[in-house]
Amino acid sequence: MIGVRSLEKEYHVGDHVVRALRGVTLDIAGGEFVTVVGPSGSGKSTFMHILGCLDRPTRGQYLLGGRDVSTLPHDELARVRNETIGFVFQGFNLLSRTSALENVELPLLYTRKGAVKAAERRDRARRALAAVGLTDREEHHPNQLSGGQQQRVAIARALVNEPSLLLADEPTGNLDTATSHEVMEVFAKLRAERGITIVVITHERDIAAWGTRTIDFKDGVVVSDQQHQPSMGSHTPVSA
Amino acid sequence: MNRLRALHPSIDIGFKALTRNRLQTGLTMLGITVGVATVLAMMAVGAGAQRSIEQQVRAAGLNQLTIKAGNWKPKTEDSGGAVAHQGDAEDTMRLPVEELMPVLPDAGDPFAGAADILPIDFHPEDDPMEKHDHPLAWQRLGDLEAGLGAATTLSFADAEAIRQLPGVQYVAGGVHGNARVHYRPDGAPEKRWFTRMHGTDLHLLDIKRTWTLRSGRFFTEEEQDDKAMVLVLGSVVAEKVFGEKVDPVGKELMLWNQNFRVIGVVTSASWVVRPAAGDDEFDAVYMPYTTTHQLLNLTKLNDITVTASSTGEVSDVSKRITELLRQRHNITNEKPDDFTISTQATRAITTGGLPPNVAAAIAGNVKELERVTLEQLAGTLERASGTMRWLLAAVAAVSLLVGGIGIMNITLLSVTERTKEIGLRMAVGARGRDVTRQFLTEAVAISLAGGAVGVVLGLVASYLISSTLRWATVVSPGSVLIAFGVSAAVGVLFGWYPARRAAELDPIDALRHE
Ligand SMILES: Nc1ncnc2c1ncn2[C@@H]1O[C@H](COP(=O)(O)OP(=O)(O)O)[C@@H](O)[C@H]1O
Ligand SMILES: [Mg+2]
Repeated sequence: MIGVRSLEKEYHVGDHVVRALRGVTLDIAGGEFVTVVGPSGSGKSTFMHILGCLDRPTRGQYLLGGRDVSTLPHDELARVRNETIGFVFQGFNLLSRTSALENVELPLLYTRKGAVKAAERRDRARRALAAVGLTDREEHHPNQLSGGQQQRVAIARALVNEPSLLLADEPTGNLDTATSHEVMEVFAKLRAERGITIVVITHERDIAAWGTRTIDFKDGVVVSDQQHQPSMGSHTPVSA
Repeated sequence: MNRLRALHPSIDIGFKALTRNRLQTGLTMLGITVGVATVLAMMAVGAGAQRSIEQQVRAAGLNQLTIKAGNWKPKTEDSGGAVAHQGDAEDTMRLPVEELMPVLPDAGDPFAGAADILPIDFHPEDDPMEKHDHPLAWQRLGDLEAGLGAATTLSFADAEAIRQLPGVQYVAGGVHGNARVHYRPDGAPEKRWFTRMHGTDLHLLDIKRTWTLRSGRFFTEEEQDDKAMVLVLGSVVAEKVFGEKVDPVGKELMLWNQNFRVIGVVTSASWVVRPAAGDDEFDAVYMPYTTTHQLLNLTKLNDITVTASSTGEVSDVSKRITELLRQRHNITNEKPDDFTISTQATRAITTGGLPPNVAAAIAGNVKELERVTLEQLAGTLERASGTMRWLLAAVAAVSLLVGGIGIMNITLLSVTERTKEIGLRMAVGARGRDVTRQFLTEAVAISLAGGAVGVVLGLVASYLISSTLRWATVVSPGSVLIAFGVSAAVGVLFGWYPARRAAELDPIDALRHE
């Protein structure tokens, strides 16, 4: 699914060069649930932006589904993001004054292979919301939803165009512990039911335990990479 | 099709955004509104002035008088200073033709009187498509002798006498009828056309200021003296008989079983008058009146067309002609005229063919007009409306600029406010052009909304300009479209920069934006 080879990323701040990634080489197979941990500033987000085709590496290769995407032009990257990747952010990034359903529809406005008709958009957004257990919140606006619900709307939005890769940068960073685990459970369920590859950044060890593999970053390099059994945690399951 | 549908969501997003910053949006729209309203008013004033000038061109015959044989007038028309009496029983006895012929509404044309000899009920022989194996009426009698010709009172000598009067510029006597022209090209089927025939004077071309010779020439004094068998065709006849590509000059035409040589083609030089089949001027043929007299054995004229040296002299000239003709026709004091003089100036004013400002200028300053030529009048009007248009153009430019800057400002504001949203849209697959389109749509939506209000305001302004300032204004659907186009263009022009800026944002930076 994913292969990165000697991935490097440099930022130029004035005369100063910040080496955010200094040679990362790893593979992620389809259906893995990877959690990425590491101290702040270790390059986790930078890594995820490259995986998500939001950014391009300074050096090194990135193969996504066998295709080298590290040198694609902007429009092509946008297309890959639209068709292959779903994002979940720490701050939810929902459009205010827009219903949950309309928020979820958003990626469908930018599909390339023939525009999606309004009725079909609505239909697919409904199904995505149902998948995260929010059938009864379709018409709610973000400010009428709890943090956990908002993040589930964001997950539904990431799912709506049926991506093969779901990327989440500290999705639980703004949530309390119980809600955090609810959100992680949604990820686990999506992986189990749909075989979606999931990469979640977190700095909490017990959140990282939800994955099947944990990668540890430090100063722009991988310091540990371990497969493990996902712990389902001792939390009440999401009522769907 | 797919593109159109893909367009739709962005447009939807753009319009939704309009409601976000109501006050700013409203203020921005105001600039566009004023700008578009002024653009529309400017075009209305421009078109109004254009029309006024066109009408002056049409009224280029303002200094023209037509003297018709006989004395009658439609009851509705004011004689406008021309001396004419409503005939009593005795008069109508003396003028049997006027009794028999239907009184047609005056078309405001020097030859309008000629229509009198055209019976409303066409004789079957008048059917141009019909073939006949017997002599036709005009062959037996001569078209004109059968009609008005015998009763007419105007003579060529009258025309010559009028020519000597002070204030008279050109004089052209005329005999009119209908005729069929035949063209027999070698080996090709005969072409026929039923049309108007004018026997006229070579000075007609001087009188008809709105005419131009498409090819060839008008007849000369010698040809008129020699009763030459020459024919000048109206452009409609030329096209109907010879087609559009063939120059008829030098070709032979049959008329009254006589061979005529075509020497010229006349057409309209004015964009106001378009030659059309059935009109009296260009669906017509012209020959020297002497030729008509000779061929039809006539001596009289149906009418005499006169131009005065200046518009203001028309009434004086009219008076002099009346005196002269009464004297020449031995009409004693109590008897009415046996002719009718009508002027274009009086008709133009009384029938309301002119915009109020021009009509008022003419009617209110007839004395002044003695010295004011038509060109001066047109020039003044053009200059004044030109000033008005420049003024409006300046206001329009300034307010559109202000509106445009407002749009740029509000769009920049919107881009800044929604940087995070732009980042998100990019993350879920929006390309640069999708983002550009979204903000351009927003900018154009604002400017179009402002433009719509502006169009309404512009219509009101145009109405006020014409009602209070007495300026002629003309608002055409085209100018409304242009006004909308201008507002859309302002939106695109001033929305472009902010929209491009939004599109060039880096998605990660945009997502991080707080
Ligand atoms: N746009 C940028 N410009 C300059 N330096 C950056 C930029 N983005 C990230 N960095 C730097 O790169 C390093 C890695 O950052 P990041 O990937 O965000 O770390 P993490 O997500 O693990 O906290 C940090 O030192 C950070 O300051
Ligand atoms: Mg980070």
